[in-house]
Amino acid sequence: MIRFDAVTKVYSNNSRPALDAVSLEVDRAEFVFLVGASGSGKSTFIRLVLKEDRVSRGAVYVAGQNVANIPSWRVPKLRRGIGVVFQDFRLLPNKTVFANVAFAMQVIGKSRAVIRETVPDVLQTVGLEGKNNRMPHELSGGEQQRVAIARAIVNKPGILLADEPTGNLDPTTSMGIMKVLDRINSNGTTVVMATHDDDIVNTMRKRVVELRNGSVVRDDAQGIYIGETEVLAQ
Amino acid sequence: MRFAFVLGELGSGLRRNLAMVISIVLVTFISLTFVGAAGLLQLQINQMKGYWYDRVQVAVFLCVDNSTSPSCATGPVTDDQRDEIQTILESESFSEYVSTVEYESQDEALGHFQDQFANSPIVDSVTADQLPESFRVNLVDPEKYEVINEAFSSTPGVDVVSDQRELLERLFTYMNVASAIALTIAGVMLLCAVLLVATTIRLSAFSRRRETGIMRLVGASKAVIQLPFVLEGVIAAVVGGLLATGTLWAVAHFALNGVLAEMYPETAFISSTEVLLLAPLLIGLGGVLAGVSSLLTLRRYLRV
Ligand SMILES: Nc1ncnc2c1ncn2[C@@H]1O[C@H](COP(=O)(O)OP(=O)(O)O)[C@@H](O)[C@H]1O
Ligand SMILES: [Mg+2]
Repeated sequence: MIRFDAVTKVYSNNSRPALDAVSLEVDRAEFVFLVGASGSGKSTFIRLVLKEDRVSRGAVYVAGQNVANIPSWRVPKLRRGIGVVFQDFRLLPNKTVFANVAFAMQVIGKSRAVIRETVPDVLQTVGLEGKNNRMPHELSGGEQQRVAIARAIVNKPGILLADEPTGNLDPTTSMGIMKVLDRINSNGTTVVMATHDDDIVNTMRKRVVELRNGSVVRDDAQGIYIGETEVLAQ
Repeated sequence: MRFAFVLGELGSGLRRNLAMVISIVLVTFISLTFVGAAGLLQLQINQMKGYWYDRVQVAVFLCVDNSTSPSCATGPVTDDQRDEIQTILESESFSEYVSTVEYESQDEALGHFQDQFANSPIVDSVTADQLPESFRVNLVDPEKYEVINEAFSSTPGVDVVSDQRELLERLFTYMNVASAIALTIAGVMLLCAVLLVATTIRLSAFSRRRETGIMRLVGASKAVIQLPFVLEGVIAAVVGGLLATGTLWAVAHFALNGVLAEMYPETAFISSTEVLLLAPLLIGLGGVLAGVSSLLTLRRYLRV
């Protein structure tokens, strides 16, 4: 579903590469943790999948297509096939929960009837039934992230990218979010989650790809991750 | 649905930037009014040219008592001199240039004068013997005034040869200068309008960057993301164009065809319907400038 072929990304000429000859393949319906310290290149990976940036060398394939060959007017179509959530939720503060999720459907031209039918289902999937009319500021952090996830998956993308989605949440709330992501994954969506939260990684027992200074240093099925804090503690 | 969405975004954008939108409306209104004024002046000039060039005459004024030119040294024109001049004007050698010759006596001159200044008190103080008699000459080619001037200006009994066309040309020069000034002002104002649109759209894009960022991520097309912003500028400019059209129409209707037409019944003024011919031009100009300006701004300040 996602394939990196010797991808190098250099942001500015004289800095070290954010990604350095990364080769990686993520299969359909797989769940992958992308782990590594801050600055190791996780967000860069996600940006390249979305074609938010261009690779410096190598190639990124999404659903078999080299994203470098997608003309700019087709990029929206690529992005419709990919849902994204971030650490900071990025909800629209003046719209209700329902309207925030519906927004993602409106802007790609879905009919009102389809929206009315789909949004409540998705809100149920992420565990927000009955909160349709709440405003974002009336929600907890975990609930806000669920809204963001609902918005990311409402157009039924094949891939869900999550960039440190639990970064702003406490451990209990984070586990709730992980359950939601796991459920979405088990419905057939490929999930790539960037994180440096070792507790979560170790509880989930999924494939773990570890980046260090832009290089893949480890790729384990059902792996674990020992974060920096633990390394320092040992 | 996408259409409804774009309209909704447009509405909220217009509300959010109301003050800026109003200033775009006003600046385009003023600048397009100047553009239109220049256009109307040109229409008026053409109208007057068409009307007058067939009618303008060369007037050969004959000497009266107090004429001062050398050819009048012998006093008022004599009957012999008058006959001589008329004969030459109607002769074979001038038929190439002259189409008709009419004689206007002092009494007829007074009659015309009284018609022209009917509402003015000077009418009562003028008498027929103060006005010169003249030959009114229609030329085959109105440009060939010099031929008549050279032939007659020093003929005994002729005071001056005057070309009405020259008076008109002077009037047209004034009108052309006025329309050039209007165009210059319009140009400066239009530049202001373009810059104002750019600033407004930039602010608008900045204040809605959250929305546009999400739209981008969920795969909204470039058109859906940009259209509300572009329409914001274009609609404001089009409203400005409509106001300008309305103003010009009112000027043509009430000032030109109302007041001025009454004062100068001889002059053919452009009608207010001719303003309506100019309207699509003005509105289109406003809309296109605003659209191009918004698109260029968005290309720089809005990632899609
Ligand atoms: N837009 C950017 N311009 C320049 N350098 C960047 C940019 N984004 C990230 N970087 C650099 O690339 C490296 C990897 O960053 P990032 O992918 O954000 O890492 P992570 O998400 O793992 O913290 C870092 O050294 C960072 O400073
Ligand atoms: Mg990051």
